[in-house]
Amino acid sequence: MADLSKVGTEYPPIIWEVERGKIRELAKAIRDPNPAYLDREAAVVEGYKDTPAPPTFLTVPMMWADRMPAIINDLKINYMMVLHGEEEYEYYQQIYPGDVITGVPKVVKMEEKTSKSGAKMDMITMEILYTNQTGKNVAKARTLVVERK
Amino acid sequence: MAQKLFYEDVNVGDPMPELVKGPLQKLQFVKYAGASGDFNPLHNDDDFAKAVGMKDGVIAQGMLIMGMVGQAITGWIPRKNLKKFGVRFAGMTKPGNTITVTGAITDKRVENGENIIVCEIAAKDENEDVKITGHFEAALPSKA
Repeated sequence: MADLSKVGTEYPPIIWEVERGKIRELAKAIRDPNPAYLDREAAVVEGYKDTPAPPTFLTVPMMWADRMPAIINDLKINYMMVLHGEEEYEYYQQIYPGDVITGVPKVVKMEEKTSKSGAKMDMITMEILYTNQTGKNVAKARTLVVERK
Repeated sequence: MAQKLFYEDVNVGDPMPELVKGPLQKLQFVKYAGASGDFNPLHNDDDFAKAVGMKDGVIAQGMLIMGMVGQAITGWIPRKNLKKFGVRFAGMTKPGNTITVTGAITDKRVENGENIIVCEIAAKDENEDVKITGHFEAALPSKA
């Protein structure tokens, strides 16, 4: 059961160097044939500096940084009972190969809710604001995690 | 490749081009695990998935299905025009499911000098079971 007193907690930053191959790999795993993600020349023709990160790319640093197990542990959430409820992104700048992005995970909301069927669950909202190597905000990710109890 | 779409060309109620994906294979969940870093065995180990209550075995990563919705959006509107994209995960996706992504414009407005369109999106399987509902906002170029 989640420790609701942890709301407001900030965790150590996720620092991630963006690679062109990883962008292509993610697009290929989705089976998204959009040439802007797969081929630098095609991306340049479409007005990008390089292959831009696809809309859901920020799941890559989040998952590969191996930070979630520690955060889930710290929040006293039972991993086996976790559901991904919602995911939302706000985009401020393109993310390109070679960028080094830094995201600070923060717990912004924690509350207990009761479903229509009477089951209790904890709703945990995390935000990660990412900046790039020039200090500009590039995107914000908001994740709702649901812990069934 | 996304065709150039202008703010003046779109109206509330206009549909987003439909995208059909599948039938999905377990192999894609494994590829997506490697690409995204989500190695939760719920998505790659049938025995584990059954042990935690999924009677048919593994289910897809929700973020894979969101990625397919992202494909539908940025196949229509260039990636650089996308401002906001949010989803609610409403149902589990199994191997064999065919996912259809649909959407429609629900609002358009000029905000801080940008021509913003708001769209609702949904991903459903071949039985009309909803996997994702959500929305996105994009800034479109103007002919003016």
